[in-house]
Amino acid sequence: MTGREPAWRVLAQELEASLEEEKGVGERAASYLLSPLGARMNRVLVSGTLGPAEPVGRDPENPFYRSRLVDPTGTIAVTAGGFQPRAMATLREVTLPTPAIVVGKVNLFRGRDGTAYVSVRAEAVRPTSAEEVRGHLADAVDQTVERIRLVEAIRGEVPGTEPRIVGYPASWVRSAREAHRRYPGVDPGTFRGALRSVVPVVAGSAPLPMPAAGALPTSVEPPRIPTPSPSARITRSVPAPPPGAPSAGERAEESAFLDVIDQLADQSADGYADLKEVVRAAARTGVTSQRAEELLGRLEESGAVEEPIVGKLRRA
Amino acid sequence: MATPPTHDADVPSEIRLRDLRVTSAPVSIIARVVTAQRREVTRKSDGGRRPVLSGLLSDGTASVRFTWWDPPSDPVEPGEILRAVNVQVREWQGRLELTFNWKSRVAPAGEAELPKVALEEVPVRKLSDLRSGDEGLRVIGRIVRVAPKTVSVGEDRRLLHEGVVADGSAAVAFTAWSDFRLHPGEAVDISGGYARVFRGRPQLVLDERSTVRRVPGDGLPTAESLASGAAKRMADVEASGGGEILEVRGVVVGLLPPSGLVHRCPDCRRAVRDGVCRVHGNVPPEPDLRTRLVLDDGTGVVTVNAGRPETEELWGRTLAECLREVEATADPGRLEEHLFATVFGRRLRVRGRGSADDFGVTIHPESIHVDPLDLGERARSLGTSLGGAPR
Repeated sequence: MTGREPAWRVLAQELEASLEEEKGVGERAASYLLSPLGARMNRVLVSGTLGPAEPVGRDPENPFYRSRLVDPTGTIAVTAGGFQPRAMATLREVTLPTPAIVVGKVNLFRGRDGTAYVSVRAEAVRPTSAEEVRGHLADAVDQTVERIRLVEAIRGEVPGTEPRIVGYPASWVRSAREAHRRYPGVDPGTFRGALRSVVPVVAGSAPLPMPAAGALPTSVEPPRIPTPSPSARITRSVPAPPPGAPSAGERAEESAFLDVIDQLADQSADGYADLKEVVRAAARTGVTSQRAEELLGRLEESGAVEEPIVGKLRRA
Repeated sequence: MATPPTHDADVPSEIRLRDLRVTSAPVSIIARVVTAQRREVTRKSDGGRRPVLSGLLSDGTASVRFTWWDPPSDPVEPGEILRAVNVQVREWQGRLELTFNWKSRVAPAGEAELPKVALEEVPVRKLSDLRSGDEGLRVIGRIVRVAPKTVSVGEDRRLLHEGVVADGSAAVAFTAWSDFRLHPGEAVDISGGYARVFRGRPQLVLDERSTVRRVPGDGLPTAESLASGAAKRMADVEASGGGEILEVRGVVVGLLPPSGLVHRCPDCRRAVRDGVCRVHGNVPPEPDLRTRLVLDDGTGVVTVNAGRPETEELWGRTLAECLREVEATADPGRLEEHLFATVFGRRLRVRGRGSADDFGVTIHPESIHVDPLDLGERARSLGTSLGGAPR
């Protein structure tokens, strides 16, 4: 049975802390982003206050928009392009911050300096009432608490004894074990603090958070890996920033370029983006072919993109 | 081989199939043939062919597979009663099996010689433990629903009763080929049924050899609890491949085509394309509404096939209104968009029967309700589970 991927109920804090990818192998295989709490996300359902959309790229033929969705724990970048026309139209209709829910695919882009940017490529977006958003936030807190408890139970297991974890879906237990293995330094309990701040929002005694004025993902420092606190140290080797770290503008350009590759790869039968098509599509967004080569070289060097077959690109 | 001393070595008393254990000592049994197939196996040593008859035996206390090496050439028919002396009990693939070999003596026996089995002596089987081929089953359960149905069997029209019976372990579909005057809600002790697999799920079959007794039903789920049901996590629904009575709660995250306004063949209700039914050819299409909801609870996903009444209710639009709109806008795609915008993100509670195929579990709903939300209560329980006063 090859079922549809469930939409994990997550909050911004967990998405922002997610760094571990699992790339599917073979044709049409799904990719996942594994959170420190064991959410093995291909698709997510997120909710909060949606800000106005900002166009990414300059080609009117090939529009791509990005908005920010804020919940009480942080901010999530939500994107939609020509392949999600309905979601993109909805994003563009938002002119004032409005309560909304979003279902979409999780996307991780790792910049040259090792900074990870998580975004959600929207499949469906709907502005809704604050009350409905509070309900979805409640679901997300509930399921996040369940995941925290599960990973804590796994951390508390004594090696050599029979595992005694009951009451969780088998898929959750598998991915929680994987998360425990891949994020050995993360204490899941540290995620509880931010969850507590969601409770008054659910109760209605605190308002839904509003996005900071003018703070759009493309014009500010994008979300960074949360600063490791002593109790939540992420012990993965983050590549050292090369001399002359890229500016926010350069990063945005890389990110937009990667989106082009992703879209073309999504559409192709073999799962690869054709190099010539990438350059053509990039040209439509105002990127010269020379600039495209530079970007590509940088992205391949940083390991974000690979070219396993000459002229065929995909995310590494 | 040492045979255990008995009061009469030639005529040992028969053992009931229920009491069989794996032993080195041969046993004697008397049982009815339920199924029997004859085949030949090739001997490894000299390539010679050797006939073997295998099948299922039952004496009312249990049913057991048997293998009969070098059987007589006369056919052995289901329903025949056999007495077999000096047969071996073995275990094969976790189940007991009887082997009749050259040392065994097998002879026909009469109906009267079958052991009289008091109903109470037959062990009660849990509905969750039914396996295809099980025969002479006894189960105690509550009738969840039952309805008559007429089917064609060859030339004959026959009336049967279909329904669902549940105990504490599972709910299972049943088909009764005789009328046992079953009523929803009553607790029954059914014996003499057999199990088969239908569309990937076990099913209980009752025929004229089965008996049904009404029982008080203490310890069974109550009619009310079966009617309300407990919502299952979708991960569990997906893992179990559906179920006869399911309740799930989730959020609509998508629609599958075709949803919205569809056209159906007036004869067979199949969807028609361009006025052509794939069975009945050119037909005057009848408009209808349907929605294939993708419902998700964060752990798993099911598809819910909603018909016209449920679609009208969820959408807040009638078929007539939809037809008028299509006439006015000449764009059926807008209708589907509107339907999606109306249902996306809605919380629903769905009850019905679930079946699984390669694409996941589909629920054929009996009811679809909007799931109400008590935010104050949710906030309180979140506060408790987070162990700390909300800031």
